[in-house]
Amino acid sequence: MLMNLMRGPVKAPQLGSGFHTSVGKESRAQTLQSGKRQIQQLGSQLQLNQHCLDTAFNFFKMVVSKHLTRGRKMEHVIAACLYLVCRTEGTPHMLLDLSDLLQVNVYILGKTFLLLARELCINAPAIDPCLYIPRFAHMLDFGTKTHDVSMTALRLVQRMKRDWMHTGRRPSGLCGAALLVAARMHTFRRTVKDVISVVKVCQTTLRKRLTEFEETPTSQLTIDEFMRVDLEQECDPPSFTAGQHKTKMQQLENELTRKLDEVEGEISCYKNEIETELEKSRPKLRGIYAAYAREIDPEDTEVLSSASDLEEAESEEAELQAATQHLTQDFLCQVMEEEVGQDRKTDGVRQKMGPEEEGGGALRQVAPLATILGKLTTTAPFDLQQTFDPSPEDDETEHGVLDLDGIDDQEIEKYILNDREVQVKTELWMKQNAEYLQEQREKDERIRKEKEQGTYKEKKKKKSKKGEQVEALTAGEAIEKMLEKKKISRKINYDVLRDLNSRGGGSSPAHPPNTNTDVQQKLSRRRQRRSSGVNYELAANASIMGKRFHRLISTTTTTTKKKKRVESQVQNPVTMTTTTTTTTTTKAVAETSHDPEPHPTSSTAVPPTVEEEEEEEVEEEECVSALQLVGDYGCEEEEVF
Amino acid sequence: MDSSNDDALDIIITNVVATFRTRCHLNLRTIALEGTNVIYKPEVGKVLMKLRKPKITASIWSSGKIICTGATSEDDAKVGARRLARCLQKLGFKVRFSAFKVVNVLAVCSMPFAIHLVDFTKNNRPIASYEPELHPAATYRIKHLKATIQVFSTGSLTVTGPNVQNVATAVEQVYPLLFECQKPLREKRRGELRSQE
Repeated sequence: MLMNLMRGPVKAPQLGSGFHTSVGKESRAQTLQSGKRQIQQLGSQLQLNQHCLDTAFNFFKMVVSKHLTRGRKMEHVIAACLYLVCRTEGTPHMLLDLSDLLQVNVYILGKTFLLLARELCINAPAIDPCLYIPRFAHMLDFGTKTHDVSMTALRLVQRMKRDWMHTGRRPSGLCGAALLVAARMHTFRRTVKDVISVVKVCQTTLRKRLTEFEETPTSQLTIDEFMRVDLEQECDPPSFTAGQHKTKMQQLENELTRKLDEVEGEISCYKNEIETELEKSRPKLRGIYAAYAREIDPEDTEVLSSASDLEEAESEEAELQAATQHLTQDFLCQVMEEEVGQDRKTDGVRQKMGPEEEGGGALRQVAPLATILGKLTTTAPFDLQQTFDPSPEDDETEHGVLDLDGIDDQEIEKYILNDREVQVKTELWMKQNAEYLQEQREKDERIRKEKEQGTYKEKKKKKSKKGEQVEALTAGEAIEKMLEKKKISRKINYDVLRDLNSRGGGSSPAHPPNTNTDVQQKLSRRRQRRSSGVNYELAANASIMGKRFHRLISTTTTTTKKKKRVESQVQNPVTMTTTTTTTTTTKAVAETSHDPEPHPTSSTAVPPTVEEEEEEEVEEEECVSALQLVGDYGCEEEEVF
Repeated sequence: MDSSNDDALDIIITNVVATFRTRCHLNLRTIALEGTNVIYKPEVGKVLMKLRKPKITASIWSSGKIICTGATSEDDAKVGARRLARCLQKLGFKVRFSAFKVVNVLAVCSMPFAIHLVDFTKNNRPIASYEPELHPAATYRIKHLKATIQVFSTGSLTVTGPNVQNVATAVEQVYPLLFECQKPLREKRRGELRSQE
């Protein structure tokens, strides 16, 4: 394993021409290796044997070759591969176990699993609840009788399957119910809570399964009979019977309501008679009310008679409520309640106080009722008409002009509030969304301030591909800059590139400070943004490849020595990066740079994963200061190596 | 027992989703403040407007793209969309009705028999998939129709597709497959049920 890891980065500098392809393979190999490691880790936690783990790794290789890992978390893919193996081998592992280990939502894992199964054309056999029984039985701690209890539970599950309780249900729920019953049958006191903690379903589910099982004829058998006999008859799925039940209940209800209506009709006749009698005996209203009373009567009687049937009152109520919403007048709702209350009161015995109150209440209703009813009568037929108009289609799509056929303008007018309503709504909305508006205002202020200061950075979400035009004094530099921008690969060894183009470091010392300041400026401007990760990466990786070290050394040493140094230098900055993650002092860097050997393993593991912002930032600082350091101690470096 | 029983099966369309464009920029705040039945969601950047007839909920974006959901037929969706556009016109925007397209249709259907999902999945291996741990229904995807059918063990189906015709064709296609794996209601059990009530 160690040798494998070491070979990676060491190989790259030696190949002059084809390093692109070797770099590609290296990345793939690393992916596979890290995948294998993770599979081993997870698999051991699940107690899978080596054969399963190898099969899982094979699946993983297939997945990687089909590029299905792109855009998916490695963890999910690994978990899905493992679960695939579990299913094909028939081990009693549930997707829930995997999600527990990874702390990931089951459905996300399930999605990945389904996709992989589909892409790899692997037909995972369906889960049999019988598989889970032994496992759960062990967990429930039955001692010596575990085997017996398992057998009983198995029989129960098979019976459940015949009775159609298992389709569409989680197998673990069925197992839980079966085990509970089996335990009780063998005189073990296992409560529902014990079973749930093992089986991972909730109490309600377990209870439901038990009740369903209760409804099957098998539940009527005694224990002995059950062990001996197997009933021929099969049941329907419980949800099917429940559905049928529902329809039957609905039919019954319909019949009942019909009967109710008939009875109500009779009651309303009595109601009317009572009302007329009471009105005759009502005290006469004097004064202002007298005038209103005359108006009320026709309206009132109209309303009352039309509203005598409860159903009609309800429909009117609905219409009126609709109207109130249109006009956004709240008090009408209160009025409506009163009216309904009154209608209901008429069923019971009226008290003397009653009629006066109702008379008063009816007063308030008069004016709005009249207006509402008036409006409704005009608009209602309109709307009904319009819905039956045909709707032409062709012209619209071509010209984009809105065809007004079948659209009732009046109705649409209602959708738009008038001015006063707009004011009210504006106020309400402002109050409601005060926080959001505040945020927006602050944001605007901030942007304005920054604009004044000249440090306004547009928060654009897309990265601009066109960077600044950077000058390059040599062809080598130009190529480097081009590669930076084009982001071809972060593992290119710039040293070798430079060697190809320019021998000797005449131009190079001029450049390190340039590129350093360049990088620094970029850093300060875009520190917070990940989008400039490329620059980070490249700069960081350039450091990994020993850019600066090499440049400096090239000034002081001859080119013949370079090749040797390169090897050791490669490891050098790599160790530097690892140590930057642990300590941020420059001294530490200087010290550790003297000991490259002991840290090869950790170092090479780091490069592919060193992409985090903080590390990069730290690296940048380190590189700069280390550079300065090394700049001072250039001669010393030479001596050490 | 026919196997080509389309007339007897009621396919009920429960939802039609359609999109269209108004070809003009819309000020969401104006709509939110001057329209009735609107919900403004500034964080997401859209306004929800609900029409009463036909019963439609529309998501309106400031770019002028509108998605209408909740209609019960394709025509309904179109009428609703046009109503909505008219409403926006009245609010003062230069609305043009273009690119109307029905994007999704959801329908439910019920078979008179129960279905054995495990058999059904086995017979139609790559096209059908069934994971009881995740979802109680088996999913059957018809690629060339771009339709997805979810089959429940009680015999109910939910079908989603790009238009009503596809949905109907999908049901027709899947019916014979379901018929093979059916489990008819037992007479004895039915008698039991009747006697219980």
